[in-house]
Amino acid sequence: MTIKFAGWGDPSEKEVFTKLIKNFEEKYPNIKVNYLHIPADYVGKMNTILAGGDAPDVFYVPDGDFGRWVSQGLLQSIDKYMESSQIDTGDMWDSALVRYRYDGSVTGKGSLYALPKDIGPTVLYYNKDIFQKMNVPFPSADTPMTFDQLLDTAQKLTVRNGDKVEQYGMGPIWWEGFVLGNGGKFLSDDRKEFLLNGKEATDALQFAVDLAHKYKVIPDSRALQAMNDGQMFETGKLAMIIQGRWMVPNYRKLKFDWDVAPLPANGNWSGWSGSVGLGISSKSKHADASFKLLEYLSGPEGQKEQSLMGFAIPSFKSMANTDVFLQPGQKPEHAQVFIKAAESEIPGPWTNLPNAKWWDMLGQNLGPMWEGKRPAADLLNELKPKIDQAIKEGNPAIFK
Amino acid sequence: MGNKRKSYLWAYAFISAPILGFLLFALIPICFSVYVSATQYSGYQKPVFTGADNYVRLLSHDPLFWKTLTNTIYSVLSIPIGMALALAIAVALNQKIVGIRFFRTAFFLPTISSVVAMTLLWKWIFNGDYGLLNYLLGLIGITGPAWLSSETWAMPAMILQGVWGGLGFNMVLYLAALQGVPGSLYEAAEIDGAGGWQRFVKITIPCISPTTLYILITSIIGAMQDFPRFQIMTEGGPNYSTTTIVYYLFQNAFRYMDMGYASAMAWVLGILLMAITLLNFWLSRRWVHYE
Repeated sequence: MTIKFAGWGDPSEKEVFTKLIKNFEEKYPNIKVNYLHIPADYVGKMNTILAGGDAPDVFYVPDGDFGRWVSQGLLQSIDKYMESSQIDTGDMWDSALVRYRYDGSVTGKGSLYALPKDIGPTVLYYNKDIFQKMNVPFPSADTPMTFDQLLDTAQKLTVRNGDKVEQYGMGPIWWEGFVLGNGGKFLSDDRKEFLLNGKEATDALQFAVDLAHKYKVIPDSRALQAMNDGQMFETGKLAMIIQGRWMVPNYRKLKFDWDVAPLPANGNWSGWSGSVGLGISSKSKHADASFKLLEYLSGPEGQKEQSLMGFAIPSFKSMANTDVFLQPGQKPEHAQVFIKAAESEIPGPWTNLPNAKWWDMLGQNLGPMWEGKRPAADLLNELKPKIDQAIKEGNPAIFK
Repeated sequence: MGNKRKSYLWAYAFISAPILGFLLFALIPICFSVYVSATQYSGYQKPVFTGADNYVRLLSHDPLFWKTLTNTIYSVLSIPIGMALALAIAVALNQKIVGIRFFRTAFFLPTISSVVAMTLLWKWIFNGDYGLLNYLLGLIGITGPAWLSSETWAMPAMILQGVWGGLGFNMVLYLAALQGVPGSLYEAAEIDGAGGWQRFVKITIPCISPTTLYILITSIIGAMQDFPRFQIMTEGGPNYSTTTIVYYLFQNAFRYMDMGYASAMAWVLGILLMAITLLNFWLSRRWVHYE
């Protein structure tokens, strides 16, 4: 029998998956896999394929799209297969698994619908050469910097020439991580209510705004139009940047020395991680064979090959602690930062509800805050009723 | 007789291809969208009939729809500006000057260039700190805004780029129309003592009015359906200031998977366009002169 498998990825990922599929076919000679590689606009194309009713048996499910797809009945629960599977979910990062659960109204609990293909924690990358040149001690790999420490470090690393900033201490923040780092919340536990107007959250947002407008240690939206933060980091124009694990293969080609540290937080390790899952179409006629493929790609063999590419951390804790992932001799020196981050980081807020309108609305409306024109607390209090309404309209299932 | 019937059959065979194509890819989907607009439909599951719910929600419960409609009408402002400019350039290029072929080609270039490439280019021109536009403004002592990240200036920027993008095509249409104006009319007017401006207003404008109507109608339809520029340049932001109806429709259909609602929106837009076009035709009887 033949099963269809769809995914995206750059050429190196395609190569790894072609190889994995070949090994899989050798292991299960009666299953043939038809690999459909979608190089660009994966979600857009998959939406069309899924709407056309011609879903592949197994396909990549980005965590941000999981809620939408599962709530539309496009995926099937893999609970019954997991009972008899070799896969040790106890050895997997809990946060990697939990985002692929769905209970019929919200994600994050209930039956399992996908297995993580990978998990990419976010961390603080820093340019060691700049730190050394400016005589600033490296951030700790064990304890997150507090916001105050971060500000202090960033100020020391910022170089000004008159009014113009020649070197920024830090990249623009991925503010979601700051909110989590200050104990803030995006939504209530039942996902019915928008809570970003809480004090912890708005303090964190205001801190992020102040870094750009008050302290001027990170580029503001104007400066970023010319060159984005990633390019600034890569060209040595800023000293620290928040990024995901997936940047490692790229950064290994950089000419300067760099390392990683935990996301800044006023307290314990926190932040968010990204992930892509592997799911089985609810319409698949070969669900058993499809699960075999899922098991293989998400299992030890598949995870090992994927980890060697450097993009992601293996889904298995035991494997993450081996040279397969730590890759001694290759950057970053403190690769274990990713392991601790994977343990402590939760799925991003965009994975929390099937309908994304509330999230889009938030993004559209934060502009005046980022420009320093409106205080975070005022703006978010004003937005709360609008966003609560969008949550309600877009996700009727959770209000039943 | 037999031969004649045979050639009829051939004729039908030839026209059947476009007709079939039209049925399959236009008429049937259009009819289907009427039905979908009266349902709740995600695209994945069977549509559930909900009657006029989508239309009620659209017209009375969705402030964002009205905002996007206002934005769309705002963006249509680019049309009169663009038409006046296109006519001015066409008049200039209708003269016997050196390098006329070069200028005609240069003005037409944006039309044949890829919208995506041009839009990316303009994104740079509008850049707040390093953009060409603000550099030029700086030369005359004006500190330009961060065009695309300002709620106030994002739409004017889009209009500016829209005018530029449509200029070449409209200019060529006007140029052709200008060359069709009979020279004898100008000669007669000159003998009667009419000046340059009078000749332009009394002869040129009435003579090219059918072209003006054509450009007006196609531009309005084009502007109200404009989409890729907005997706690349602003993604509808900031604060929905450049979210046009079509962009909002796209988001509802392909991001929130609300095909029924998006279809209702498409029909409201379609009816609106039809009304504007009919109004245009009706008004045109007063100012368009066919020979």
